[in-house]
Amino acid sequence: MSRSHWTMLCLALLAAIALALAIGTIGYTPADTWRALTGQADATTTLVIRELRLRRTILAALLGAGLGISGAALQGVLRNALAEPYLLGVSGGAAVGAVLAVVAGMSYAFVPIAAFAGAALAVALALFVAHAAHGRADPRVLIMAGVVVGAFANAAIMILLANASESRVRGAVWWMMGSVADARWSETAWLGLYVVVGGAVLVTTARSLDAIALGEDSAAGLGVDVDRVSRRIYLTASLVAAATVAAAGLVGFVGLVVPHIVRRIGASGHRTLLVASALMGALLTVLADIVARAAMPPTELPLGAITAVVGVPFFLATLRRLT
Amino acid sequence: MVPPRVARIVSLDPATTEILFALGAGDRLVGRDMYSHWPAAAERVASVGQGLRPNVEAVLAQHPDLVFLYPSQDNRGAAQRLRQAGIAVAALKIDRIELFDRVTRLLGRLVGDSARGAYVADTVRHTLDSVRAATRSQARVSVVMPVWDRPLIVIGGGSFMSQLVDIAGGRNIYDSLPESSPTVTLEDVVRRNPDAVLVGPERSMTLRANPSWRAVPAVRAGRVLVLDTNVVLRPAVRLGEGAVSLARLLHPLHPQGAH
Amino acid sequence: MIAFADVRARYPRQQHLALGGVSLDAERGSVTAVVGPNGSGKSTLIRALIGRVPLAAGTISIDGADTRTWSREAIARRVAVVTQREETTFPMTVREYVALGRLPHRGTWGRDTMQDRAAVDAAIARTGMHALADRSVHQLSGGEWQRVRFARALAQGGDALVADEPTTFLDIAHEMAVFELMRSVAADGHAVLMVSHQLNLVARFADRLVLLHDGRVAAAGTVNDVMRPEILEQVYEWPVLVTRDAAIGALTLVPLRKPSTSSRS
Repeated sequence: MSRSHWTMLCLALLAAIALALAIGTIGYTPADTWRALTGQADATTTLVIRELRLRRTILAALLGAGLGISGAALQGVLRNALAEPYLLGVSGGAAVGAVLAVVAGMSYAFVPIAAFAGAALAVALALFVAHAAHGRADPRVLIMAGVVVGAFANAAIMILLANASESRVRGAVWWMMGSVADARWSETAWLGLYVVVGGAVLVTTARSLDAIALGEDSAAGLGVDVDRVSRRIYLTASLVAAATVAAAGLVGFVGLVVPHIVRRIGASGHRTLLVASALMGALLTVLADIVARAAMPPTELPLGAITAVVGVPFFLATLRRLT
Repeated sequence: MVPPRVARIVSLDPATTEILFALGAGDRLVGRDMYSHWPAAAERVASVGQGLRPNVEAVLAQHPDLVFLYPSQDNRGAAQRLRQAGIAVAALKIDRIELFDRVTRLLGRLVGDSARGAYVADTVRHTLDSVRAATRSQARVSVVMPVWDRPLIVIGGGSFMSQLVDIAGGRNIYDSLPESSPTVTLEDVVRRNPDAVLVGPERSMTLRANPSWRAVPAVRAGRVLVLDTNVVLRPAVRLGEGAVSLARLLHPLHPQGAH
Repeated sequence: MIAFADVRARYPRQQHLALGGVSLDAERGSVTAVVGPNGSGKSTLIRALIGRVPLAAGTISIDGADTRTWSREAIARRVAVVTQREETTFPMTVREYVALGRLPHRGTWGRDTMQDRAAVDAAIARTGMHALADRSVHQLSGGEWQRVRFARALAQGGDALVADEPTTFLDIAHEMAVFELMRSVAADGHAVLMVSHQLNLVARFADRLVLLHDGRVAAAGTVNDVMRPEILEQVYEWPVLVTRDAAIGALTLVPLRKPSTSSRS
């Protein structure tokens, strides 16, 4: 990626954030929006721009960044272009945790915690199974373990929802489609911490990922401790993904598609790929959230539905090129 | 189809359960769905589980000769199987105020006491009419009625609650949406700028704890009205009571509608 | 320079020792070839060197220092390995691929130094890949790909080159080019250790042969010591003839047909 690519990516992200602040059900002028940001507008305008639009936009950007970077890292370490952040049972585990909390009627503050705990447990289970089966984390066993843990989670969700009231089912389904509508600062701050720290850890593995792309033996020949680096990436990427799920539910296809887009615009080394995937993930998720709230007013669409609708055709096109 | 004298009834719909008790047919109830909690006597009737996609075997075990259920897509299979077992099934939809009126009269005939059916229906209608008359001169209070946070689900025009608010001298800002519980954005609530937010006691806590709601001027001004959800829960016998309590909530200085 | 001393290794959850006590030395300036039938432990030897198979006993040392006391990167700075198989999952150019050889020389946040770039350029030039430097590695032929892999190993530098069956699937010209390259790398003073099935080429290019059989050294020494029909027949379990080729003067192995199967023709 050349310098102009980077500049364009950063400018596009800033433009998308500006657009997200300017667009909404209420038609504020850019001047109003600016005054609200600088605290010179009336209370309602200020609250709408800062508390509703800005907050969800920041959450969307962090969410996209986290999914983009963890997707890129997992694709690299598994040497599989179809890998994505939820692969190791994150989605299933988090969903079980969140649905359990929703169905049990717990306060909203507990839903993210329950989701995170569920995701962490599922990843631990998948890693444990893969490790137990082969003495070390074999990627194929790991992927299968993730799939099976996910299937188990789906079954658990069905059982949990069998007796739940209609609005609880709707709440659970909504959560499983992901949304940044009800962003809270505390959740946003937590996610920010995970994305920044986790992202930094993942970027330190970039060099090893370049080598692992050649195969595990070749990477070992280049001085990479493949098992250790792999474990670090599985854990870090899954924790970042779990944090995104805890903050905003399941937003599919961002982590799968973003690394492909970034590769197509010319990122080859993993350091470039990881950082650019974070930026591109943030860009696409912010745009998707604008669509989610502006497409069918006054109804809001689930963010995960938008990313899937955009992501699937793109991904099918990518698949054709891969085969 | 309906047996001449129904002796054993299973009600799989809480509104129907309420009406049956009001009609004095509560003693003929041999089974109810798990959400039929009112009146208190209903709790003593054996629960057969869920009302939607009911457990047909549990219903049959009560040997009913008449089963009431809600006419949803989910319930078609169960209704068909019950009919195959030779049991009369009535699918009653009670989710609008006018439907309550019709269904109550119909149930009166079904349990063999049309006079009582007409009396219950007329009493509710009379109360609603007097509340409507009393609030007619008042300024309309526009309200939003959130029922769920994630996603933000509100009461829409399709719900009896919207009608009840209208009778009580208010206006649901989402009465133009045909759904009974549409999903909306908070920003759209701000745009429609309701005079007050009308919520159940439980939701009023989460609403006050959620800083996003401060964007709604009514919330900042402290106009969060807490609804008595025990009374205003479903379009049944307590509709009149519900209208009265709503009117008091919306127009506190004018204790109209009281008898 | 690289010394295996009584190395025993076993894959996880297996009873059988893949290496049952192997000792060999790969010296600077010479080509050491490890030969033997399938499953005799040749590749395991190399995987043990790069730490992919844990040692059950014995030591592998580089210039007398036990590799267990070395970091993986320190080993990689001394020894470059061309593994048996390798596929690139994601697209990159030939130059980017060759530059991966410099990984062990860079820190986590390090950038390309002049030295790195010089090493990459030299490696590309030496393998004759100059014209293809900006092409995607996915567009290379099998022979070109193998040359690029050697370029990456050369860019890695160090003083030993290890290659695991580097000429499988190559045509005659590419195969000979690889053997010539390894000979010239040895002539530069590097230690070259290779695993090969090509006994006849090994006999012409290698200074020392190590014949493995069932995880143990069946024979080791000069070409003349190892290329002996009675040894090879026993190890490969097939009748062979070893002759000296009249034209090139090298020992040549000719596998014979078995009477029972040839009687039909």
